[in-house]
Amino acid sequence: MIKKLGLVILSLTLLIGGCAEQKLLEKIGLITLAGYDLNEDGKVVTTAVIRQVDQEFQSMVTTSSAVNDSSLGALTEINRKTTKKLMQGQMRITLFGETLATEGIGSFLNTLSKNSSTSSGILLAMTAGNAKELLEYPYKNINDVGQEIYKLIEQNVDAELVTSSTLHEVSQDYYSVGRDMIIPIIERKEEVIEVTGVALFNKDKLVGQLPAKDSFYLLLIRGKFKSGKFETTIPGDIFSSNQSDSSEPVPVVLDTISSTKKLKLTDKNVPEFELQINLNGRILELDAEMDFDNPVEIEKLEKAINQSLTEELKSILDYCQEINSDVFGLGKQYRSQVRNSKLTHESWHAKYPTAKVNIKINFKILRSGVFE
Amino acid sequence: MKNVIHVKPQQMINAFLVFFVVHTTQIGVGIHGFQRIIYQESKQDAWFSVLVIGIVSHVIVIVMIKTLEMYDSHDLYGINREVFGTWIGNFINVIYFFYCSVAFFSVLINYIEVIQTWIFPLLSTWFISATLLLLVIYTFLGGLRVIVGVSFFSFMLAFWLIFVLVFPLQYSDPQSLFPILESKFIDILKGAKAMTFTIIGFEILYIIFPFVKDKKNIRKPVHYGLLVTTLMYLAVILVSLTYFSGEQLSKTIWATLSLFSIVQFPFLERFEFLAVCFWMLIILPNLCLYVWAAHRGLTGMINISAKKFIWLFSCIVLLLTFFIKSRIQINSINNIFGQVAFYIVFIYPLFLYVLALVKKKLTS
Repeated sequence: MIKKLGLVILSLTLLIGGCAEQKLLEKIGLITLAGYDLNEDGKVVTTAVIRQVDQEFQSMVTTSSAVNDSSLGALTEINRKTTKKLMQGQMRITLFGETLATEGIGSFLNTLSKNSSTSSGILLAMTAGNAKELLEYPYKNINDVGQEIYKLIEQNVDAELVTSSTLHEVSQDYYSVGRDMIIPIIERKEEVIEVTGVALFNKDKLVGQLPAKDSFYLLLIRGKFKSGKFETTIPGDIFSSNQSDSSEPVPVVLDTISSTKKLKLTDKNVPEFELQINLNGRILELDAEMDFDNPVEIEKLEKAINQSLTEELKSILDYCQEINSDVFGLGKQYRSQVRNSKLTHESWHAKYPTAKVNIKINFKILRSGVFE
Repeated sequence: MKNVIHVKPQQMINAFLVFFVVHTTQIGVGIHGFQRIIYQESKQDAWFSVLVIGIVSHVIVIVMIKTLEMYDSHDLYGINREVFGTWIGNFINVIYFFYCSVAFFSVLINYIEVIQTWIFPLLSTWFISATLLLLVIYTFLGGLRVIVGVSFFSFMLAFWLIFVLVFPLQYSDPQSLFPILESKFIDILKGAKAMTFTIIGFEILYIIFPFVKDKKNIRKPVHYGLLVTTLMYLAVILVSLTYFSGEQLSKTIWATLSLFSIVQFPFLERFEFLAVCFWMLIILPNLCLYVWAAHRGLTGMINISAKKFIWLFSCIVLLLTFFIKSRIQINSINNIFGQVAFYIVFIYPLFLYVLALVKKKLTS
């Protein structure tokens, strides 16, 4: 009897003591997005998009912001302004303002990685201008700005139009020697938010930007690219049957079906690399008369496409070397091929601006649609 | 021959079950974060360290079985007394008893820390340890066969977790493994030594041997158990090395759990929460077998009933968990324990084998 009583008391204590902290949906506000800016005094302005669910199961989205020295301190500050306890577990996206990115976002990446309540799959992006302004603008057609931005970037990542910028992938680059991180840039254009470019970093500081269409080349070289559409221009005079003004460049829209990339260090003293890219694809749009049954014509076209791709790639590479941001991961290749290189971020970035890359692109046209 | 253990046939276990015992005692809390510890020593060649320690563990097990076969139904405690005499033998047994107890304690506090950092930061330590200890008491009082049953189920129910590694594989970059064998050989060995805390557990063989029914067939299951463990660790370290970049890995405390944190299902947003909870199944055989081994050592020296022992032991452990809480304390316990365990698990069996061999030659 005493034994049984003892057991009952024991299990009761466990039951009562074991109530971990409760998180009732009606009593918490879910932060779905956090935006960080830097103001004139060098303090962090945090803007949070908060989704709240009330008893009637209607959800409401509000934005709130606070100024503080630290990102999490600002969240406490925001908590004082809301009726519900704020939780970060549903955070999908983190935005950085342009000024903050220029100052460096390393400490934010560190804080985000430390926090066990946020997943390492959250997406990062930069806003052109201030994140606060972008988030607090009263959009006519957008209900939940947090969800909107998340969907926007997720969709673009899936379509391989911008690089995937999950916290894990970005910090993988941030903590690696020999590859700098990139994150997409979003911007408000009147009533819509769109992806306008790619932010290039050196360690954790923003050093340059590329327009969104150049993402394709970054994706291609960074080696995660599978398939996607892109546009380029080729000189008009290659078409023999072209009646129009032959010197004018002709736009081509291409869709790659498969691609392989090979990067090799050929000379470690210069350092010199060889980049070989093979693409198989189809033509979606070509604004010129062309005979697709003629192998000579096709070869000419392929050559022209290769030429123009190589040139564009070269100019992007030159730009990146100029701003000293190794977003292609040349340093990673260098480190993996040179034994005992003891490569550090500094020593690699001293070599990188003078590195030479020989680009070889081989585009093969497989199909050209159902109508000639 | 007073050290011979007479086990009733109904208390014995089949040899093939030793596979589960060895494997589940090896896999425990160490796998949560062993990556960065080896990475600090042998960088991108960390997986060689895992390979080396895996092979070494096979060699040690061969020596262990050879020693055990010299004395037909003795456990380590009995052999110690036979080889060194009662006094010195018992002194070594006390050390071994403490080794098992600290192993138990270290598994417990490491798991509690993981629960508190990952899921419930406010959940009190005493609650988790009391719950786990009650579970251990219950299993322990069921006897060895129940404990072995728990390890069997632990293996069967948790084995699938290894396949979840496919998800982080999508983000991994094999380039990080190159150049292969850049680290010095000595660093690879250092990394292998740092693996001790993670790979130990197979020394349970020393204690469980007299309880095995068909002792002749014990080699196969033991080596398979070790092989599966080594392959598992190898898979985890290879995925970790390619998934994380260097500095990132050395900053990640529980790399395996961080690997899980990229996994998302439409119905389950945070997989690692599930994994952490599931881990209780994995550490349960760990705890039970270590406390069982400790008890075996103690009963040979003093007369104490299993019931009295387990309650007393649990109370002491529960009290101790109040004092050891911070990451620094736990880390230093892991480090010291790892150091000591290296000598107890990897060096002592060789020493014992040689001595037993010499003694046998002299007496015959």
